[in-house]
Order: sequence, then C-alpha cells, then structure tokens
Amino acid sequence: MPVRVLENTAPSQVSGANSGRSSSQSCSLLGVGQAFSGTQNVSSVQKDEAWRVNVRIQGCDLEHGYLCGTMEALNVPMADTPVVTFWEGEIVDTKNYTFFTGKWEATPEDDIRHWSKFPSFSPLLGQVEADGGKSLDLSNYPYIFMRWKEQYFVNVGTDCGLTIAGFYYICFSCSDGSISGFYYDPNSSPYQKLELKSTNDGRSGFSFSSYELQ
Amino acid sequence: MPATRPSSDLILHRLASSDCEIKLKAIREVKNQIIGNRTKKLSYIKLGAVPVLAAVLAGADADSTPGSSLIVQSAAALGSFACGVDAGVRAVVDAGAFPHLIRLLSAADDKVVDAAARSLRMIYQSKLAPKYDFYKEQDMGFLLSLLKSGNENLTGLGASIVIHSCETSDEQNILCRAGALEKLISLLDGSLSQRDSSLESIAAILKNNPEVVSKFVDLQNRRALSSIIELTKDRYSRTRLLASLCLICVKNSSSCYLQDTGIETKLINILLELLDDSGKVGDNACFAFSSLVAEKDVQKLAFEANAIDKFNSHLQNCALHPKRLEGIFLALAALCSKFECCRSKFLSLQVLNILVDALSYDEANVRTAACICLKNVSRSIKNLSAGYFTNERIITTLVRLLSDRSTSVQVAALGAISNLVIDFTPQKSKFIECGGIKELVQLTKSMDSSLRLNAVWALRNMVFLADKMCKEKVFVELTVSSVASLICDPEPSVQEQALALVRNLVDGCIDCVEYAFAEDGIILDAVGRQLQKSSKIEIGIQGMYLLSNIACGNESHKEAVMQLLFSKAENGSHSFFSQLLLSNDSRLRPSALWVIVNLTFPSSPGAFDRIVKLRSVGIVSQIKKMVNDPCMDVKLRARQALGQIITYGDN
Repeated sequence: MPVRVLENTAPSQVSGANSGRSSSQSCSLLGVGQAFSGTQNVSSVQKDEAWRVNVRIQGCDLEHGYLCGTMEALNVPMADTPVVTFWEGEIVDTKNYTFFTGKWEATPEDDIRHWSKFPSFSPLLGQVEADGGKSLDLSNYPYIFMRWKEQYFVNVGTDCGLTIAGFYYICFSCSDGSISGFYYDPNSSPYQKLELKSTNDGRSGFSFSSYELQ
Repeated sequence: MPATRPSSDLILHRLASSDCEIKLKAIREVKNQIIGNRTKKLSYIKLGAVPVLAAVLAGADADSTPGSSLIVQSAAALGSFACGVDAGVRAVVDAGAFPHLIRLLSAADDKVVDAAARSLRMIYQSKLAPKYDFYKEQDMGFLLSLLKSGNENLTGLGASIVIHSCETSDEQNILCRAGALEKLISLLDGSLSQRDSSLESIAAILKNNPEVVSKFVDLQNRRALSSIIELTKDRYSRTRLLASLCLICVKNSSSCYLQDTGIETKLINILLELLDDSGKVGDNACFAFSSLVAEKDVQKLAFEANAIDKFNSHLQNCALHPKRLEGIFLALAALCSKFECCRSKFLSLQVLNILVDALSYDEANVRTAACICLKNVSRSIKNLSAGYFTNERIITTLVRLLSDRSTSVQVAALGAISNLVIDFTPQKSKFIECGGIKELVQLTKSMDSSLRLNAVWALRNMVFLADKMCKEKVFVELTVSSVASLICDPEPSVQEQALALVRNLVDGCIDCVEYAFAEDGIILDAVGRQLQKSSKIEIGIQGMYLLSNIACGNESHKEAVMQLLFSKAENGSHSFFSQLLLSNDSRLRPSALWVIVNLTFPSSPGAFDRIVKLRSVGIVSQIKKMVNDPCMDVKLRARQALGQIITYGDN
C-alpha cells in the first residue's frame, strides 16, 4: 500500500517582495491524461444523494496557473446519459492566482470558509487572512489548491435542467493524487463535497500518457 | 498610313548588323516592344536576343558617341528583360552581361553610368541575380563608393545590392563595420526613392541582429533612430511601411531601445492603416505586422486595437491578391499564437470558413499560411475539447494536404493536424475515416527530417488517450520494425516523439502493453539502446514514462523492464538508470522514480524479488538519498517508492 507521507512543515514565506519566486508547484499526478473518480455529495435537507463523478485532466500550464479538463457525472437523476462538462482551473500559486477568488459571487469570507474545510489549509490560514496568501511560497507544499469552474456542457445542451453556475474549491494531494472539493454556488445546496481518487484503469501501478501542442 | 511592325526575326537579324545605325535602331525597337510585355520578353529570349545585346554591350566603345548610344540602349534593354521575368534574369546573367554592366559603372560618360546602374538595379530586384560578395575588400570598397556617390542611380544601386545580398548575420556585421549604415542614414535626407531604398537596406542590415541594432541605436547619439521614428509619419505610405520595418527590427532585437516611446501601439496602428493600401505596401504591411506581434505583450496591444476585426474585414473581400491572403493568415497566426482571447475572437468572427477555403488555394504559400493559422488557433484545449475543429471539411482538406507537392505545405498541415487530433474523443473517427493514418505513416518514412518529425508528432498526439481500435490501426499501419527504426532515427527530436508515441500506445488498457513486446520485443530493445546511448533529457523523460507504463502491466511486463534496466548492471551506481536518478533535471528524476514505484507496486507477486535485485544494484540506497530532494515531486515519489519497498522489510 502506498505510504502516506505526513508533512508537518509549514510552507515557507517568500522572503522579500522582489525575491524570485521558486518554480511552480509541479506534480506528475496532476498531469494531462490523469484520471480521477469518486463522488459528489449533493444531499439536501430532503434527501441524501451522491453522484458518481469521473474527472480527466486535459490541459495543464503551471507557469500560468492553468489547468483544464472534463468532469463526468454518472447518475444524475434528470439526465438520460452521463453529463460531461468542460472546466478550467485556477491554481492558487500566489503568483497567477491567490486564495481570494474575487469573482463568481465569492467574497473573501466565502473563500476562507471554504478553504478552511480542508485540513491541509490550516497552516496557511493566518497568512491568508493577512494578505490573501500573497507572500506564501507554496512551491514545495504537498497540497495544491485550485478553483475549478465549469465552462460548458460537452455532451448535453444547456436546456438539460442542470446548472454550472458555481465553481469548486479544490485541494489536491500531491502524495497520492486524491482530490477533495466543495462546490460553491450561492443558489445551490452549500458545501456539496467532491471526493476523488487517482484511477489506473485496473493496472498494477501508475500510467502516464502525454501530448504536445504545436 | 501606319507602318506595320517588323517581325521579331527581322529585328534579330538587324541587331547583328555591322551598321551601327541599323543596330541602334533595332535595339531601340526591341526595348520598346518588351517594356511591360512579358510575352514579348519570353519570345525574344527564346529567339536568342539577350546574348546578342550582351555582345553589343561588351564590344561597344563607351568613349565614342555611337558606342555610348549602343551601350545605353542595350543596357536599358537588358535591364528590361530582367525586370519581373526570371527567365530574363537568367538569360542576362548567362550571356555574361553582368561584369560588363559593373565595368561600365566606372565609365566617363554619365549616360553610360546611369544606364548601367539602372539596368543592374533591375537585375538586383530578382533573387536570381548573382550574390554580391561583401567579404572581398575590393567589392566592399566599391559598394561604399556607390553609396556615397552623388549620383542617385548609383546610390540606388548600392542600396539594391544590400537589399538583395545581405542575408547572414556575418554579412550584416561586415556591412556595419564598414560604415554602410552611416552612408545609408545620410541618404535618408535625399529623394523619395533614395529614402525608401535606404530604409529598406537599413532593415536588411538590422534584421535579427542584436549586435548591429545596438550599434545602430547609438549612431549619431540616437539621431538616426529618431529620424526613422519621424519617417513613420511620412506622407508616403511606402516610406511609413519601410520606416516601421526598421523599427520592428530594433524592437524585436531588444524591447529596451524603444521603451519610452509607446512605439508598439503606434506601429500597430500604422500597419493596420496601411492595410487599406491595395498594392504591395498593403501586402507587405501584413508581413510586417506578423513580425511585430511575435511577442506576447504586443499581441495584447494588437488585440486591444481590434486588429483581428480589421484583418477579418479585409478577408471578407473576395478579390484579394494571394500575397495579401498569405500575409493576413500569417498575421492572424501570430496574433492567435498565445492568447485565448485572440483565438475566441477569431472563432467568433467566422473566419474559420475563409481559412478552410484558403487551405485549397492555388498558391502554395497561401496554403502554408492558412495551415499555420489553423495550427495556432487550434492551440487551445478549450476549443479542441469543444469540438470546434472536428468538422469533416477541415479534416479531409488537411489530410489531402499531406500529399501536397510543396514540403512547406506538408509540414504546416502536419502542425495543424498534430493539434487537431487531440480532440479528446477516444475514437478519432473522422481522421481515420478519411485515410489520415495511412498518409501520416507514409510521411514517417520521408527522407525529409522535418516531415518525419511532424508526422510522428501527429501520430503521438493521435494515440493520446485513444481507444484500442485507433491504436491498433496506427500500430498495424506503422509496423513494428518501423516503430523501432523511428526510435533509433538519426534525429534526436524524432527519437523523442517516437518514444512518446510508444508511451501513449502502451498506456490505457493492459492489452496495450503488448505493443512493446511484438515481434520478439524489437521495440523494447530499441528503447533500451536509445536510453543507454542518448544524453538528451527529453529522451530520458519519454523513455522513463514509457517504461513506467510497461511496468504497471502484468508480472511479465514488469520483469521485462527489470531485465532491460538491470541485467547488465554489475554495479548500480554505473548503470544508466542510476545516472537518470542523479539527473539535475527535476522532470527526469520523477519519471525514473515512477518506474520503481510501478516495479515495487504492492500486491504484485514478483515485487519482493525485484526489490532484492534493486537493493543489490544499489538503487534502493540511492532512492533513500532522494527522500529530501529539493523538488517536491521527486521527494514524494521517492518516499512512495521507499514506503512500498519497506513493507517487504528494511534490509
């Protein structure tokens, strides 16, 4: 079984405003082609419900804090087929993006409330409250925080009765490739939890494919 | 009653006459007939008029009145033959007229000098003119004497020589050291023609040469640069274009020289305005624009200046000259090379349909430019995933271009296809249906390495996350031996793409791993050989991920990887794998560690024996040293591997 590495070191702070930031966080498990599967809890007061979810990373540009891919929801009640959406992600690298969303109807308070639901965020909380985390150097932090925003439906029309108005606060573990997330949409049930694990097509290990745009 | 024109044969006969008057009249007649008449030029060339005229030039006495007239007329006729007709240039050069024209530049009679200079200028407009040798001291001295001459025809000729023959950075440096720039700058105050040819020559000397640009900027306390900035406001459109070209050369060399002047926005606006010129100035403005917006910061400014709309409105004009079409697509390609907002704007304007039409255009340059534009617009995962390009017309046209007679079209089409096949649909059906795989595989066998590289690249992208059927088609068409040869291709970039192709082939379902073992494992042997031989980081990375993908197969797959990596290693620290683990490259170290993670993956029956072997060759102790690697990915993978190894005991 893979050994989970416990990190007790807090992330370092960038020493000066003009000091060169170290390179972006990179994790081979968050590369193009990687697949994840799990569930999204969509329970409301009326009923307990979880949709099975598959995610595939399609594009990754760490220099610009950009990630994109598809999300497939499998047992959506009002849909005949699995519903696939294309999403784009902002990686909180404190260079391109900070912990504060600044859009999508999310206030700094909403941000901190959601980020705080990830245990790995707690060592960062103080600094994020102080300056949005701008002075943090996350390049060696074993968790990658992101926001994923669905942009369009891939296989169904916009009249499918589903909404992609909200976005996900995401925490990715570089150790084992597990993903936790919370969907945020002021008009939907709060704190819908997304839980995904790295998948390997039934193979005995980890496989990596790649493409290169010209 | 109007007289009928004498026949060509008759004129030719008279050209050879020993009577000077008859000869002169015949030369005049030829000259008048061929001016602006391509057909006449070709017909006289065929009849052999050019060598006759060259002989007149060589034999006439420049110091006598009749001789000088003969020279003036024959030089003018020869220049006319060379003007705009390649066959004419060839005929004039082959007839040996060139050295005589050069000799006559030193004649005492001004009319002879002018005629020779004008004739040579026409010849130098053609690429076929003989290249001027700037390396010869004597020739350079002669060129400088032309540039500082008081005769406008001679300075114009000097500028034409620079424009024609200054190509390499060495040539630019020689011209700069010899003081050509100073001479050319002094001509900026001359006539319109002198100014324009001087600007064009300066641009030729500055292009892509930071060393020369830095000397140019410092000339006359930056006054030369200021004069050129001033000329971008000139009332003549060609002057504005040429001055802009010089400034683009300066800006592209280093942005620091024009930092405070806001020159980028000005240049963007000047060039966009010049598009309204329906002639060559407008055509060339498109090319200048694509060179201006090569960098990201300028692309943003151009986007804000609505450049895409402006180019689109020009494209809506059906009667565009091919040169203009080519220029517009290259400009749009440059604009769409980096920013998603530019690509979205492009797609929203429905330019794509016009682009697809241009893929079938008669001129190869237009087809190439359209392919490059499509490649850059499709450099977007968001747009690819939305299926904007998976349209039958685009795919079938591109596949047809793979057998185009022009190599540059083929390379450009491969570039676009490489992006389009990453459509994130596992079937890649449209591409397969129109025979794309066969064409691509054919090009992997090309003698031209750029075709091989791009064809393998396209296939590599095509099998990325493809289903078994698509992979099977690619594999069968390619053949096992051909895959192995591509891995050992003489070009390292082809080797890298070939390894990435196999890496993608053996990804996915476990059956796919078998591709690496077909025909007695010659592919895997080639991989092993290449990894041992090559020191290129990218080859190491692709090779390691390829082996890592095989190592997450079944037991025999894992054992094959063990065999490949460690059978020959007497001492782990000397093995190539050990060297890869020690690499300074933070992408290569994790790729090598993934192989170990997969070889020691829990619950695989042979893991224990493999761990014993890994210990014996020193790999385990090497991994132990990596658990505090400065790169987090390496650190985590080393810990992951070690965690798996330790479950089988720590010694």
